[in-house]
Amino acid sequence: MMPNRFLRCAALFVTLLLGGCVTARVEEIREGHTAIGAADTIAVLGKRDRPSATETEFDFVDCVSKNMGPSVPVVPDRTFRDTLFPWFEPRTAPANTRDLPELISHPRFVERLNNLGVKYLVWIEGSTRRTDSAGTMSCAVSPAGGGCFGFLTWENDSEYEASIWDIKEGRTVGKVSSEAVGTSYMPAIIVPVPIIARVKSSACSSLADQLTTFLTDAS
Amino acid sequence: MYPRLNKAPALVVLLLLAACSSPKVAVDGTFPVPLVNPHPIHVGWYLDDALKTYVHKEKIDRGGDWVISVGSVQQSMFDSLSQGMFKSYAFLDKPEAAAPVQLIFVPVIEQLQFSTPKQTRSKYFEVWIKYKFELRNADGTTRGEFPLTAYGKAHIQNYSMNTNSAALQEAANAACRDAMAFFALQFRTIGPVKTWLTENGLGG
Repeated sequence: MMPNRFLRCAALFVTLLLGGCVTARVEEIREGHTAIGAADTIAVLGKRDRPSATETEFDFVDCVSKNMGPSVPVVPDRTFRDTLFPWFEPRTAPANTRDLPELISHPRFVERLNNLGVKYLVWIEGSTRRTDSAGTMSCAVSPAGGGCFGFLTWENDSEYEASIWDIKEGRTVGKVSSEAVGTSYMPAIIVPVPIIARVKSSACSSLADQLTTFLTDAS
Repeated sequence: MYPRLNKAPALVVLLLLAACSSPKVAVDGTFPVPLVNPHPIHVGWYLDDALKTYVHKEKIDRGGDWVISVGSVQQSMFDSLSQGMFKSYAFLDKPEAAAPVQLIFVPVIEQLQFSTPKQTRSKYFEVWIKYKFELRNADGTTRGEFPLTAYGKAHIQNYSMNTNSAALQEAANAACRDAMAFFALQFRTIGPVKTWLTENGLGG
C-alpha cells in the first residue's frame, strides 16, 4: 500500500516538474515545390547578418537540426559556414534570395555546395523572451536549518520563423513559423518546486516536425 | 599536528573565486581556407613580433582587468587566408623579399576594443580589431597602406554555462574571421592593391 502511494506521489512530482503549460502554434506558407533526394542534404542556419540586433540562439538552431526526421539529413551550421567560408559570415551572408544568383555564379562555390549535397537552406530567425514575471520568494538559512517560502511565476514566449531557400534555384520555397507560449511556476514551502514550461523545446520540436513534413511532402 | 582541513568548503571558495575573476581569453584554433578564385601572384607576409604577441589589456571601472590575446593566431589566420587566395605565399623574416614574392603585406594591429553586455546594456560581447596593412614591393619599398576594421560579437545566452570568457573569446574569434572575410572578398577593390594589380596586368 505504502510503496504504491509513494510511486503515485513521485509520478505526480515528475509530472509537475515537466508539466508547465505550453501552447504551441505552427504555420506554413508554401511558395514552391520541394523534394529531398537520396543524396540531398539541408543546412539549418541561424540568422546572424547585420545590422540585425537579434541573433537566434545556437542551442535552438542545434535543436532543430537534431530533431529533423531521418529522411532529411542536416549539415551542421558551423560545418556549412566553414566549408563555404567566407560567403556566409555576418558581413557577407546573403540577405535574401536575390543575392543567390551571384553566389551560384562562382564555380568553386557550386562545386563545394555539391560536395555537401545541400539543396535547401533553412534560415531560422527569432528568439525566446521572458514576457512577464510575478511573485516573490524568500529563503533563509539558520543553524537549525533553512528553507524558502513564496511563489514565483513567469511567462516565456518563443517566436521563430524558418525561411526555406532552394539554393540552386535561387528562390524561397516557403516559410514555417513556430510560436509557443508557456507559464512556469515555482511554489516554495521550505523546498522550491519548479514547474517549468518547456517553451523553447516545444517551439523547436514543432518547427522541426513541420519543416520535415514541408521538405519531404512532394507537393 | 596540523588541523585537518575540510576540502569541500575550500573547493567551493576556489570555484567562487574563479567565477568572479576577470576574463583572460586567447583566441585559438584554426581558421577556414576562403573559397575564392586564387590570384595568380606570389605574396609575402611579414608579421613582426608585436603582432604575433599582441595582447589587449584593459581595466574596466568596477569590472576588473580584462585580457584578450589575439597575437598567437595571426600567423594561422594569414596562412589560411593565403592558402585560398594566392598562387603561392611565404612568411618572411624581414619586410623585404628573401623568396620569389611579388608583393609583401605587413599587417599591424593598431587598436583592439571590446565591450561587455554590462557596458552596452545589451546581450552581446563585441570586439573590434583595427588593422593597418602596409603594402611593399618585393625590394621592401613601400607602396601604400590600407586600414581594415573587423568586428565580431557573441550573444551571452549562447555561453551562459561557460562564463564570460567563452563569449568574449567567440567575439574575438568572430572578429578575426570578419577580417579574413573582408580581406578575401574586397582584395581587388582595396586602393593600393587595385593599383598594383592594374600595373601588373592583373586588374579588371
